[in-house]
Amino acid sequence: MESEMDAELRFHIEAFAEDLVRSGVPRAEALRLARIEFGGIERAKEECREARGVNFLETLFQDLRFGQRLLRKAPGFTTVAVLTLALGIGANAAIFSYIDAWFIKPLPYPQPDRLVSFETQDKKHGWTSGGVTSAADFFDFQKQNTSFEQTAAWGGASLNLTGDGPPELIDGGRVSWNFFDMLGAKPILGRTFTAEDDRSGAPHVAILSQGLWQGRYAGDPKIIGRNIAVGGEAYTVVGVMPGTFQFPLMGIANLWTPLALTEMQRADRGNVWLPAFGRLKPGVTLEQARAETATFFAHLEKEFPKTNTNLTWLVSSVTHKIRKEEGGPEVMICFVVVGLVLLIACANVANLMLARATSRTREFAVRGALGATRKRLAGQLLTESLLLFLVGGAASLLFASWGMHWIESQTPGHIRGYIVNYGHVELDFSMLMFTLGITLLCGLVFGFAPAFENSQLDVNHTLKETSGQTSGSKRGARLRRIFVAAEIALAVVVLISATLLVKSFIISVRSSPGYNPANVLVAQLALPKTKYTEDSQLRNFSDEVLSRIRALPGAASTGVASHVPFGGFGQGIEFQVVGKPLQPGERPGAPFTAVSADYFSTMQIGLVKGRFFDSSDAYGTSPSIIISQTMARQAFSGEDPIGKTLSLGEQHSVGTIVGIVNDIKMNYLRERPGWHIYVPLAQFPSRTFGFVVRSSGDPTIMAAAVRDAIWAVDRDQPISSVEPLENLIAVVNTGDRLVADLMVFFSFLAMFLGAIGIYGVMAHLVSQRIHEIGIRMALGASPVHVMSMVLGQGLKLALGGVAAGVLAALGATRLLATQLYQVTPTDPLTFIGVPLLFAIVALAACYLPAWRGMRVDPLVALRYE
Amino acid sequence: MDKQLDLLQGTLDMLILKAVSLGALHGYGILLRIQQISKDRLEIQQGSLYPALYRLEHQGWIASEWGESENKRKAKYYRLSAAGKRRLQAESEKWNRMAKVIAGILQTTPEEV
Repeated sequence: MESEMDAELRFHIEAFAEDLVRSGVPRAEALRLARIEFGGIERAKEECREARGVNFLETLFQDLRFGQRLLRKAPGFTTVAVLTLALGIGANAAIFSYIDAWFIKPLPYPQPDRLVSFETQDKKHGWTSGGVTSAADFFDFQKQNTSFEQTAAWGGASLNLTGDGPPELIDGGRVSWNFFDMLGAKPILGRTFTAEDDRSGAPHVAILSQGLWQGRYAGDPKIIGRNIAVGGEAYTVVGVMPGTFQFPLMGIANLWTPLALTEMQRADRGNVWLPAFGRLKPGVTLEQARAETATFFAHLEKEFPKTNTNLTWLVSSVTHKIRKEEGGPEVMICFVVVGLVLLIACANVANLMLARATSRTREFAVRGALGATRKRLAGQLLTESLLLFLVGGAASLLFASWGMHWIESQTPGHIRGYIVNYGHVELDFSMLMFTLGITLLCGLVFGFAPAFENSQLDVNHTLKETSGQTSGSKRGARLRRIFVAAEIALAVVVLISATLLVKSFIISVRSSPGYNPANVLVAQLALPKTKYTEDSQLRNFSDEVLSRIRALPGAASTGVASHVPFGGFGQGIEFQVVGKPLQPGERPGAPFTAVSADYFSTMQIGLVKGRFFDSSDAYGTSPSIIISQTMARQAFSGEDPIGKTLSLGEQHSVGTIVGIVNDIKMNYLRERPGWHIYVPLAQFPSRTFGFVVRSSGDPTIMAAAVRDAIWAVDRDQPISSVEPLENLIAVVNTGDRLVADLMVFFSFLAMFLGAIGIYGVMAHLVSQRIHEIGIRMALGASPVHVMSMVLGQGLKLALGGVAAGVLAALGATRLLATQLYQVTPTDPLTFIGVPLLFAIVALAACYLPAWRGMRVDPLVALRYE
Repeated sequence: MDKQLDLLQGTLDMLILKAVSLGALHGYGILLRIQQISKDRLEIQQGSLYPALYRLEHQGWIASEWGESENKRKAKYYRLSAAGKRRLQAESEKWNRMAKVIAGILQTTPEEV
């Protein structure tokens, strides 16, 4: 193409020259005249090329070749830029994979948007039951509905496994027979349940998880048909579920048995405890299903006014429900923060590119003189930027996969069941697309600045400059300063947000949970129904174990409760204040724990009023009750609760309130204080136990002795766990801890990048002004004066950015309010501390360039080119 | 200066198409022919000729191919395409209409207003 154009134009000139020769002009003169007459050949060629609409690809390849040569020639620049980009983009990609799994990818079931969940809701008072319904309501609906293809229910269970290894308490599920079919889950061995299995009295069958099969049962190839001991009874294994199966609403489960409710349980309409869901028939909309349930429940209200007044079902999409589960907001916060870090990284790279561009202005001036159009130059610069970003993007995948591995290693097993799409968090197509997408986006946006800058040059002016580095267009310098200020502002926002979150985390960990968990060992177990049928057996068991543990050396105090804090169990009970009639539909309830007399003192829970339980609260006497402080305040609105009576639960056992204790944290460190009802274990026997032992030193040394004490009473009793209470708390905290760790990492990254940004700009500014500095010093300015001048400039820049960042943070942190524990979004300590920190960092970053400026030898500077 | 060039660009295209319609020519030949048929009253800037040729080719009004010139040298010849013929027709009509309208305006006597 080029040579053709050349040939054509040359022909023209020679033809013209020949005509001139024919009219008498000498040959050499003719050629010269012809060329002059024609005008600038290169310009003409350039215009021809444009008029022709040059092949875009051709230009692109040319630019790419040139660009990669440039990158190779400047290894320092390239390495720093690529690393910065790789870190920034990689972090984003890693967090994105979780966002993708959580919010974007559909749930791993066939047609997941056809799945809806049912939960009982009180229309009048607006409360919802927390994802459950009553058995009778469910089974009636199951029989009579027309909107749903299938419906199923499930319940969690802790199951004791014995035989084939040490006794073990595992998380399991009791499910309707069609549970797995509804989720489209296929077993890797055997089968799922059938309707026959789901009948009360049917032979016991169980399905294992892949993990359990390969762990406890050593991957026995003959596992199907084998009998295992669950809860003291023989269950036949009929299937094994793959390790990828998960249902976040149910959490982790390693063994499933059929729900197999008895007739009485199925007819129970008063207890709301059964989680359930359904699959819509094809063509039926959510609205139609909602209409059907509304009518159905209106019907039930009339038929069963005692239990169903004001009740209806809240029908919501399962996808929606799962996504709202715990963890969603945390992931979003990480995503936003990491996005800000990326912007900071890109600003740094843009500054690097601008700096390099100023040293290339001569090159561009010459090219412009040779005929390159502005569009062409800008295009080339943009291509170079894109190339740099793409290389960074490719490198980022390495960081991303490291990041994902690290996050995975920090997520303990029992949390994994709750992370949506956990098995699908991987380097897959959508993540690659995301990485490519933001790489291109950032490359275009941030590459545009230097492209725009350098393509408009006053050619004459630039070529006349004596130095290879020109004074660098004023606009370019200002752009760099704006970038750095913006970077700093963003870094301040990141740091403030991260500090707030980390502070909240530390406070929540350090805050007193209402008891003293230090040096306390907890042993949890559940007595099987088959072996312990009588209440007296339960009482004897706990009494004996307690007395044995009490006798152990090193046991400073002991106690036992039906559920311990952070034990993973819980129970609630409905109650009624005797003498205060209930409003229709009102069903007050509270978490409920049965405790031994010395439990409170062992846990060091404080008594606010009244008394603890003692020997007078024995079996057979009138029940006593102790309530929590918040409950005393809120349920009795001003009156003294001591002496008042409550009617508890279905049996309507009436007890007298004898004491008030301080609030405790049962499940989460960030929970707000709530209601709690305690009763004596002697009067309210429990099947589940958490024995607590406070020792004078490290509690773990007592673990073996405690186990032996339990097994001395019952050799076959599986113990689910024996752990220090502090461990139990720490494990639940893992999610928060992970977020806090990530925030710390991002803060360091942001600050590091910000500091580099300031340093870069200041160093460049100083080198630009060496000439001027030399003059000043020659005229008598002291080195200190020079240094303060440079430092002053740098600080002004940094403080501007910091101020902007603080303002932005004031607005932004309001979004974090729900995640913060006892920390206000405008925590003054943070908002003063972080800017101060930045001012110091900025000062440090400016120091080296300023010091260099100070040491300039005026004579050298004046001759500096 | 600029204004003149602008006008000329539009008309240059037309002139080139006309010149080529009379027979395939190479670039220099087109230049000569335009000078010839304008009876030397029009002067074309040589530098603007080739960009115009490339543009017209890109738009499809003329087509090019390499051939041999009178003195046995390689030269690129341009000829009018079918679409170009139609285009030339349309442009000349437009030009004539425009000329008539303007002439009419310029000949208006005070009485006719």
